Amino acid sequence: MWEEGEDSVILLCLTASSGVPLYCRSRGGSVKQQLPFSVIGSLNGVHMFGSNLDVMLTAACTENTRVVWKVFHNSITLIVLSSDEGTSDFSLGKLLENVFSAMVLVLGLEELVNTRNVERLKKDLKACYKLIDSFLEPSKCSADLTQCVECAVMPSRAILQECLEAFASAAESRFGSLLTGGHVLCATEQWWQLAAQEAMLLMWLVRTLPPHTSRDLPVYLPHGSPTVPHRFLTFQLVPGLEVVLLCGPSPSLQFLADELVKQFWQPLLDLLKASARASPRCLLPSTSLAPGILGVLLINQDQRKSLFTVQPHGTWAEGSEMPLKNRLCALRSFYALVISLYFPSEKSEGTTVPLQEEFQAGFSHHPQHCYVVSATHKAYAVQGRRHQLFLLLKPDVPTFALRSLATSTLQALTTEDSAI
Amino acid sequence: MLTTTPRGPAGMLVPAGSVVVPDWHKTQEAQRYFGAVLQRKKRKSFGLIERPVLPPLAQADMASYKVFVSGRSGVGKTALVASLGGLQVPSAHHETTGIQTTTVYWPAKLCQSGRALFFKFSFWDCGESMLKKFDHLLPACTEKVDGFLLLFSFTDRASFDDLPNQISRMRERAKNAIRIVIGTKFDQFAHTDVTERDIAAFRHAWGLPVLRAKSLSAPPLADRCSQGSHTGLSNVAHILNGLAEHLWRQDQWAAGLSLPLPGPKEPISAPLTGGSASGS
Ligand SMILES: Nc1nc2c(ncn2[C@@H]2O[C@H](COP(=O)(O)OP(=O)(O)OP(=O)(O)O)[C@@H](O)[C@H]2O)c(=O)[nH]1
Ligand SMILES: [Mg+2]
Repeated sequence: MWEEGEDSVILLCLTASSGVPLYCRSRGGSVKQQLPFSVIGSLNGVHMFGSNLDVMLTAACTENTRVVWKVFHNSITLIVLSSDEGTSDFSLGKLLENVFSAMVLVLGLEELVNTRNVERLKKDLKACYKLIDSFLEPSKCSADLTQCVECAVMPSRAILQECLEAFASAAESRFGSLLTGGHVLCATEQWWQLAAQEAMLLMWLVRTLPPHTSRDLPVYLPHGSPTVPHRFLTFQLVPGLEVVLLCGPSPSLQFLADELVKQFWQPLLDLLKASARASPRCLLPSTSLAPGILGVLLINQDQRKSLFTVQPHGTWAEGSEMPLKNRLCALRSFYALVISLYFPSEKSEGTTVPLQEEFQAGFSHHPQHCYVVSATHKAYAVQGRRHQLFLLLKPDVPTFALRSLATSTLQALTTEDSAI
Repeated sequence: MLTTTPRGPAGMLVPAGSVVVPDWHKTQEAQRYFGAVLQRKKRKSFGLIERPVLPPLAQADMASYKVFVSGRSGVGKTALVASLGGLQVPSAHHETTGIQTTTVYWPAKLCQSGRALFFKFSFWDCGESMLKKFDHLLPACTEKVDGFLLLFSFTDRASFDDLPNQISRMRERAKNAIRIVIGTKFDQFAHTDVTERDIAAFRHAWGLPVLRAKSLSAPPLADRCSQGSHTGLSNVAHILNGLAEHLWRQDQWAAGLSLPLPGPKEPISAPLTGGSASGS
């Protein structure tokens, strides 16, 4: 058998029809953890065996490892094995969806579903490795799980928004967005019409690439345009801040970088520099949250965008509280728990088949609130009218106070004029 | 006046040190210029709407050039550009999935006038397999291009044999762009597939300058997440200066200002020594 690390994650990709392995990746990108062919064969075999009997095998677990299977378009099988403690069937299911979408983004659906030459496909898939590997690493955000882009709220958003709309339309594009440190500062109206996962994936792509002055990347949009490529353009205005566009054949990268970028953005240089320095807090300076709050995840369900921070009081809130890494892990696990069991799942975007039986079918009602109390933290979730709020709190916040604290926080975060 | 080089403008050989002062980056005088592009001994990065800010008394013009880096997949285009820009050089090969550009500011001093100048290079790097798959990428890279870096790898004979293809592919597109050949992975010279003699023969046949590069200064560590080391200015100065000289000379020639090449009678050997003369 293979060496199993503390938090190893291994991903297998095979053709669904014949079970030919296409690639195997693992956390850390090492090849040390290649699975023996016999293991790959059994993992695929047990799944095929089930499907021949009309049984869909979705997940399994051993003492320390979870395995999740998923077949896409009847042509690609993805299998993930994870011994990471914070993981769940829900998060592994999302991981597989993200990986498949990443493959579509780079190669297009056509090549993946109508494979004529497996060797060729194997070779071409190498171009996706970097993006695929990034989903196997421990996540530093929530977007991979919620599949909603994370936003940062800042005071001067209106000015940036106006400039962005003008810039995008001069560039003959309806889809533009301004990004800093993996967050959307603002985006064109149309940008929010992209499928949530698409928008998330494009941002994820930018985040995994080393910094460049500009880029012109052919991309296939997994939902909007899986067979016809578009140009995804990025421009670094100042270090740490990029404007991105989805374009057709024109205008050229050269023209945009030389002419339009300067014309539209130069006048805002100082504001852009200040925005690039924005804190990891993602909230307006004027927003103050209860001191017991350690982490916030707010999701706008209509527009599929989110606000996520585990430093809600700015960086000075460090100290004896939970380390950031643990906050991140706790809030992500809580989200996965609540979404997979209690709250109505997010509006599914076509391809998503629920991984588990409908647990909530067992309830006669739809839960609107739920909470978890543990030794290290408490967590509380509220289902609002258009928003979902997930809070991570210090263990010393009294449990009876959680509900009112969460409701008032939801109120505060959704009624400000710059709310997401 | 025209240059005395028989090869025509784009293929001319400009001897190292004939246009800009070699090793100027090591001098005291250069420090205030380099101060504008360095921050805590590392290269500062600039966005598209920024430029280096010089101290009040140190004025300098900016000469901007677009340079397309070409070569077979895996020769080290992305690694070379990262090292020229003072960025982290990835030790693993990940295909570049489109065009990515990197801006590098390089101060230099002109020999003739003694004037300091900022060169602004926009390096255009495009993954070779994408270039083959999408027709629109090559024209985008060669639009208004000023120079080509044609790469081969010392550890890959096929990439060296592919050079004539590269050259002809470029020649159709930009007649006046300069062309410089760069042999990458020179640190692996012990395992080379391409000999001194091959290079001499190539230079003789094509009349193009050949430089050497080591983008990864240490061999990749066995450690799975190791990143290549940061390479200092000295590692890349010969390439950036060589590029600056050829582009500047080409501009002068185009403007009808060029003088006969000064310096050694046998200019061919000069650019070649660039690699070994630099650094350490
Ligand atoms: N030892 C050594 N390795 C190098 C050097 N330059 C590049 N490499 C390695 O060669 C491999 C490929 O380099 P890349 O720069 O990614 O190749 P590329 O030309 O950009 O390839 P495509 O994007 O696919 O067209 C990487 O593993 C690099 O670390 C070098 O100077 N020395
Ligand atoms: Mg590359």
